[in-house]
Amino acid sequence: METFSDFQCPACKQLYLGTSRQLNDNYVATGKVFAIHRDFPLPGHAYSRIAARYGRAASQLGRLEQVEQVLFENQEKWEQTGDVDGTVASVLSPGDMTKIRALIKNPAIDAAIEKDLALGRTYAVNQTPTTVIHYKGQTYPVVGIVSYDVLHQFLDQLLTQ
Amino acid sequence: MLQSSPLNLRRTVVLLGRLFLGATFVYAAYSKILHPTFMLHPWFAFKFAVQANLANFAGEVETFKFLSAANAALLAHTLPFIELVLGLLLLIGWRVRYWLTAASLLLIVFLSVLTRAYLLHLDIKDCGCFATPEPLNSMTLVRDSVFLGAALLCTYFAFVEARKPHPWTAPS
Repeated sequence: METFSDFQCPACKQLYLGTSRQLNDNYVATGKVFAIHRDFPLPGHAYSRIAARYGRAASQLGRLEQVEQVLFENQEKWEQTGDVDGTVASVLSPGDMTKIRALIKNPAIDAAIEKDLALGRTYAVNQTPTTVIHYKGQTYPVVGIVSYDVLHQFLDQLLTQ
Repeated sequence: MLQSSPLNLRRTVVLLGRLFLGATFVYAAYSKILHPTFMLHPWFAFKFAVQANLANFAGEVETFKFLSAANAALLAHTLPFIELVLGLLLLIGWRVRYWLTAASLLLIVFLSVLTRAYLLHLDIKDCGCFATPEPLNSMTLVRDSVFLGAALLCTYFAFVEARKPHPWTAPS
């Protein structure tokens, strides 16, 4: 399951808080679903790209979960101030932050984001969040927010196919 | 037009108006029920797509801040089907003056809700009107005013024409 997401998009925040965390606990942690976060920063959001860079860098250190959580939970704050760095720093150690600040300057981070954007375009993603579910060679693109109750019914039925 | 023709000016306006409004309502319903997630097969995927789309629409209704979350969900799960039935009835043309009245009333409600949100400067990123995400702006209000104007005109003409004997009625 690939989720094309933008840290500054309110619907992505809603999907993350309302669905993704329960999904992680009940399907990803149990090995039923393999979930991938894909960056799809939208051009209309001033700080999406920089937030995506921090997310990417954090994932290289194995800290994506904390960074994703703090960015979504504090979205209204940092989208006003632009203080992505301070928001991320509030959950990571100074040592990790030093590494992340160095990593986000690496062009490979931007290249990885561009790769996700290009992949999204191949699935005709044009809004966030968009979740693309793959199962037994079939692709099921789901656009927008899906409640956990609705998604888990679908996944259960899909997994019994 | 010839006096024996069923299509005088008013009848022509009603015919074109009901076809336009009917098609618009059917498209609006399709946009809410089968967009943005579109899956037709298998059945459980279709059901899931419809549920996901209606939930999305409920989220859009909530941004207008005139209903609680529960009522927004209730509206989101009923309005698209009302639009679908109304659109089909307008296209069929049965008892058209009554369905044109219903369409006018529905469009008055839509325009009132949109105008309220616009005047309150609510940040509506997608009005939920049609399939393409569309932020609420003055053009949305102009477009819906045109729809309402057309519906009111057609309703008036339909009632005027209903009082007259049909041009094909044999003289008594």
